Amino acid sequence: MPALQHFCEWVYTTHLSTSIRQSAYLFPFLETIHTLGIGGVVGTVAILDLRLLGWIMKKEPVSRIARQVLPWTWIGFAIMFVTGLLLSIAESQTNYFNWAFRIKMLLLLLVGINPLIFHLTIFRKVNTWDVANVTPLRARLAAVSSLVLWASIIVAGRLIAYVNT
Amino acid sequence: MLLLLSHWLGRTHLGVYIRDSSYAFPAIEIVHLLFLAVFGGAILLVDLRFLNLGFKTQSVSAVARELLPVTVGGVIGMFLSGLLMYAGGTMRYYHNPAFQAKMAFFVIALIVHFALQVGVARGLPEREGTGRLLKAGAVASLLLWFSVGFAGRVIGYV
Repeated sequence: MPALQHFCEWVYTTHLSTSIRQSAYLFPFLETIHTLGIGGVVGTVAILDLRLLGWIMKKEPVSRIARQVLPWTWIGFAIMFVTGLLLSIAESQTNYFNWAFRIKMLLLLLVGINPLIFHLTIFRKVNTWDVANVTPLRARLAAVSSLVLWASIIVAGRLIAYVNT
Repeated sequence: MLLLLSHWLGRTHLGVYIRDSSYAFPAIEIVHLLFLAVFGGAILLVDLRFLNLGFKTQSVSAVARELLPVTVGGVIGMFLSGLLMYAGGTMRYYHNPAFQAKMAFFVIALIVHFALQVGVARGLPEREGTGRLLKAGAVASLLLWFSVGFAGRVIGYV
C-alpha cells in the first residue's frame, strides 16, 4: 500500500475526522464557509485578472489594484485552506481514490505556480506598464491562465461530491 | 400566480430535460458556482470600500461605478443558472423552506445592495454626510448575501 494511502486511512480514523463525519451539521457548515472563502479568493483574483486584460478599471494603475485587493485574497485563501483541509480530513479515505479530488490538488499546485512566475517576472517591471490600457502579453497570459485554472478548480471541486471513487 | 408559473416552467421541454438528465443539474450547478465566485468577490470589494476597509486609494463612487458591470453581470448569470436549476425541480423547491428563505433574502439583498451601489455610483453620498448610512448599508448587504448563500446550501439538506 502506498505511503500516502496509508496516511489517508490513518487520518480517516482520527477523532477529528470521525467527529466531522458523524456530525449532521458540521460538514455542510464547513462546505458553506469553504464556498464563501472561494468567493473571496476567486472573486478578488478575478478583479485583478480582468484589470490585467483591460476589461475593467482601466484608469486605475495595476499595482494599486493589486495592493488593495491581495490582502483580501489572502484572507479568503486562509478561510478556504482551513475549511478545505477539514473537509478533506473528514473524507480522506474516499478522497484518496477520487479522481476529481486528485485533479483539483494538481490544479491548486498549478494555480500557485502561476502568480509566482507572474510576480517574479513581468510584475517586477510593472512601473513601465502600470497605467497601460493594454498590458503586456505575458501579463494577459497570466490573467487568462489564472481565470481558467480557478474556474477548473471550482468545477473539479464540485465534481468531488458527484464522483464517489 | 407564482405556483402557476412554476407548474408551467416545470412542464416546458427545458424543465423536463433538466429533470430527466443526470448531467444537466451538476453542469448548471457548476456554472452557478462559477458566477458565485466572481460575483461574491466583487460584492465583497464594493462593500469593503463602503466600509473604508479596502480600495481606499479610489473614491467610493469610482469603485461602485467600475465594479457595477461585474456585480450586475454576476447576479444575472446566477439568476439565470438558478432559474434553470429551479426548472428541473419546481415543486421540490417551491415547497422547500430553505428555498423560500433564500428567495426572500435574495429579493431583499438585491434591492438593498443595488439601490446602494447604483446610488453611490451616481455620486449621491458625496453631496451630504451619508457616511454612516453607507456603512450600515454595506454591513446589511454583506449579511444579506451571506444569508442567501447559506440558505442556498441548506436547500440540498432539507
